[in-house]
Amino acid sequence: MEPAFEDADLVQETLQGNQASFQLLVERYQGRMFALVRHYTRNPVEIEDVVQDTFLKAYHRLSSFQHNSSFYTWLYRIAVNTVLDAMKRRGRSPVQSVEDPELVGGAPEPQQAFAPDAGVEREEIARVTHEVLEELPEIFRTVLVLREFEDRPYQEIADILGISIGTVESRLFRARAKFRDKLTTLYPEFGQPE
Amino acid sequence: MTFRCDDARPLIPSYLDGELSEAQAAPLRKHLLDCQPCRASAQGEKNLKRWFVPTEEVAVPAGFAARVARRAFAGDPGSAEFDDTLVPASPPEQAETGKLLTFVLRATAVAAVFLVLLSVGIGRLRLPDQNTISATNAEEVSLEQALDELERLNEDQASDDQGAGRGPEDADGR
Repeated sequence: MEPAFEDADLVQETLQGNQASFQLLVERYQGRMFALVRHYTRNPVEIEDVVQDTFLKAYHRLSSFQHNSSFYTWLYRIAVNTVLDAMKRRGRSPVQSVEDPELVGGAPEPQQAFAPDAGVEREEIARVTHEVLEELPEIFRTVLVLREFEDRPYQEIADILGISIGTVESRLFRARAKFRDKLTTLYPEFGQPE
Repeated sequence: MTFRCDDARPLIPSYLDGELSEAQAAPLRKHLLDCQPCRASAQGEKNLKRWFVPTEEVAVPAGFAARVARRAFAGDPGSAEFDDTLVPASPPEQAETGKLLTFVLRATAVAAVFLVLLSVGIGRLRLPDQNTISATNAEEVSLEQALDELERLNEDQASDDQGAGRGPEDADGR
């Protein structure tokens, strides 16, 4: 079913000074923004701050929204920038190293991944995954979050991150290899390699 | 078309992500049916995906949207330290379009400046200045030259009158 108001209509009305229209946009996407940011921090106050910042920035840049992509993709881009910036300012981003993690070390050796044991609780899986993701450089974590949790297609990930689809593919390949590597290093007890 | 393992392996993640066209996926599926090592590789990829379980809904604080909308319209710009450089502003395709647009805008600006200078130059050539007023605008004639010319004409007229014997003093017969 089509939404009562298209995003483009709400954007237009917001630009004309309609506060209620902007509030509708926020209500429409706030849940997904909270879910996205939670992959980076579990602190509820930080999550709310980052999501709020995302919407405030979106409002103040709304006149520059070109409709080349969907409003959702555009908002996602702002959210990813905002959360990465917030993490960097709080000294929690390992991605800002001197070396580009995509260029150093070559391709990791492929390892067999093992699935979580059937007996492991869903919450426990989520906790382990979150801890492993925290160990990854930010560019790898972000591409995994967008693909595996947010289920974004490659093209949309490319649009959000401002990279080509080919780079999305190679970055995902490396990110998954890194994830496997960290998982087997940190949590070998969760299963046996097949 | 048959796949070798070296061709098939790189496609497996995209296949599991649903990103391959049917034309790409069909031969890969056939290869996976025939190739146990590649099937194991695909299974490994699927196992990895099982670690990314959907998380429960996040509780959004009550009144969040109204509060954010109110702050936005009150002029709150969000955090001032926002670093936009972590992610490029535009996808590559848009960046290319942006470069082209920049080039066109710059070329237009240069052409506009050239046209303005040209029109000013033409205007200066055509407009009479304050000291010279000429019906034809063909040549500039100084005031002194004009007076000389006028004097010469007067002298010519006087000599014509004398030659005809009709000086002013003779006009009344004296």
